[in-house]
Amino acid sequence: MDDVTFEVRAGELYGLLGPNGAGKTTTLSLITGLLKPDAGKVLVAGTPLSDNPQQAKRLMGFVPQDLAIYEDLTGRENLEFWGRLAGLSAGQARSRAGELLEALGLSDRAQDTVRTYSGGMKRRINLGCALLHRPQLLLLDEPTVGIDPQARWNILGFIRELRAGGTAILYTTHYLEEAETLCDRIGILDHGRLLAEGSLKQLQERLGGDRVFVVEADLKDAAVEKWHGLGARFRLIQKSARQLVVAAAGDMDPAECLKALLALPVRVENITLKRPNLNDVFLQLTGRELRE
Amino acid sequence: MLGILLAKDLRRARRNPLPWLINLAIPLAITALIGLTFGGGGAALGRIRLGVVDQDDTPLTRMLRGMSQQGRAGNHLEPLFLDRAAAERELLANKLAAVLVIPTNFTRGYLSGSQRVSLELIKNPAQSVHPTVLEELLEVVVTALSALARNFGSEFPAWQAVFEGQADYRQVAALIERAGEKLQAARAYVNPPLVTYSKQPPEPVSWPATARESPARPAKPGRADGFNLFGYLLAGMTGMFLLFIAGNSLNDLHREVRLHTFERYHTLRHSLLPFVAGKVALATVLLLAGSAVLLGGGALVFRIPWQHPLALAALSVGYAGFAASFMAVLGALTGDERVGNTVNTLVAMALAVAGGCAFPPQQLPALLRQHISPLLPTYWFAETVRRLEYGGGDAPWVQVTLQLAILSLALLAVAALLFRRRFRKGLRA
Repeated sequence: MDDVTFEVRAGELYGLLGPNGAGKTTTLSLITGLLKPDAGKVLVAGTPLSDNPQQAKRLMGFVPQDLAIYEDLTGRENLEFWGRLAGLSAGQARSRAGELLEALGLSDRAQDTVRTYSGGMKRRINLGCALLHRPQLLLLDEPTVGIDPQARWNILGFIRELRAGGTAILYTTHYLEEAETLCDRIGILDHGRLLAEGSLKQLQERLGGDRVFVVEADLKDAAVEKWHGLGARFRLIQKSARQLVVAAAGDMDPAECLKALLALPVRVENITLKRPNLNDVFLQLTGRELRE
Repeated sequence: MLGILLAKDLRRARRNPLPWLINLAIPLAITALIGLTFGGGGAALGRIRLGVVDQDDTPLTRMLRGMSQQGRAGNHLEPLFLDRAAAERELLANKLAAVLVIPTNFTRGYLSGSQRVSLELIKNPAQSVHPTVLEELLEVVVTALSALARNFGSEFPAWQAVFEGQADYRQVAALIERAGEKLQAARAYVNPPLVTYSKQPPEPVSWPATARESPARPAKPGRADGFNLFGYLLAGMTGMFLLFIAGNSLNDLHREVRLHTFERYHTLRHSLLPFVAGKVALATVLLLAGSAVLLGGGALVFRIPWQHPLALAALSVGYAGFAASFMAVLGALTGDERVGNTVNTLVAMALAVAGGCAFPPQQLPALLRQHISPLLPTYWFAETVRRLEYGGGDAPWVQVTLQLAILSLALLAVAALLFRRRFRKGLRA
């Protein structure tokens, strides 16, 4: 990681968005104390993690990307075990496990071993195991990877409820839609650097508002940077052999933008107007698609 | 915390008992294997049942038969005098270790020197040690008979007459007198012998300074009579197989890394010591069960009379703790289960061999025996058990148990530190 600074506030869902290998899991490992930073510090509730790691860990709940549960134990036993490790008494763990099983829709399978659960049910138990002690900060490392849409919908709904309850949530994902629909603020991470952060709207504004034009043409030998009028009116987001993606630089009317684009010294085959998404932001920041 | 972790692992073991059962079955199988190798049961070597078929039936062969029942031979040999058919039946029924056949005219041929004579030994192929012992004994008898023939050959015709009842008492008396004179003349060459061999007593365990300064007391007289070869070997074998079982059991640490549950634990608890200690404690329990199977099973099934059960139990606890925490350290050093399995096996084997578990330490090269073995916990355990049981019961077992316990705690702390270091460097499944 290189010079990454951000904060997550109570009741906020902060998304860390980045491709595989961007450093999302490493960031979470640094926050949970699994890894030791060679520089910089992690503050949990205003106190450096290194000052009292055990105290900080009591405030956190971590849901790893890979399932970290015991398949030989039942769902209830898993929840109670992780609850006990988080410092709950046997009675508290039992009662809280019952609540969570109910909330996660797993009450009827509570006594079955996790081995017999579906992928989505295992994900829910994996999530529940981090919530026994009602953490103030919840760290979710791509909690919806590899599950069906229905199970994902259930988990995302549960996460929204947690946020509504005042839990600070740090959520890593490489799914654009999740980041766009779920997160209050988003940090874009690539190669260990935080390239940009803000709300979806703020990030979209980096591209010049809510309009992006995709121009399709033969651009193989075109020196678009030298085209008169393009640089003054538009911000170049991406250029490929077949596609030019630009955002209007000022408060231009869409019709004017279209007229200007059609006037470019190239035979335009098609122009599409769309709302910029996080992929466009990532594209502008890195020159690569997030999905690459 | 330890209780929570142990309860979790016991639940896992209850749901998936196969690895545990295999770990307990291994020592059971090994005990049975060793027991069968050494004759199938009985204390020590036991009395060797030997069938004797005396087809010659002369005073000489009757004398040989008598010798096999007298003195110390009688303590170890149980000769049964049978005809050939009955002896073969007994042999096939695995009731005899071997059958010695003294052929017709053996005495006549031996005393006349007219022909080459031979004794026939039919060994029981279903047994291993007893028939070999009998073969060695027969070689001694044959060597003695050959020596007699060379030194008293000139008198043999007269002796033949005696055995065939053709000599009177005066001739017999003269023969005995001449034999006595010859023996008297040969005495200087026979006693004391020019070359002797005596078995070295086991080298004392190299205890820490306090124990080494006080000379070991001599073994209590009469203890050597209780020597049991199977028991002697089993002490070492137990040391070796407990290491293997510990390796298998502590591989669960690798599984916890692979399942990401160890990592999850670390996100909740800063100290890794309870987690590693839980695994070591559980492995220690398993090792004690294995130890009970090996040593207790040996005592019950093969009637090994362990003289110091309390000391043996204490040593087993100390050694089980050492084996488990040592394997936890290896687990922290090796990357994954596959590498861990290989490394555990190799290191356990090396420790067992160098510590005198696989072979008696007296058989090891001098460098190993004198400078390396005494430093190894495998040696402390196996040699203390052997000295307790077969060295007169004089071994500082309390001190050795404490040494093992302290070493276990130190290794446990090292294992936890090594895992923490690996986590900080990015330990991943």
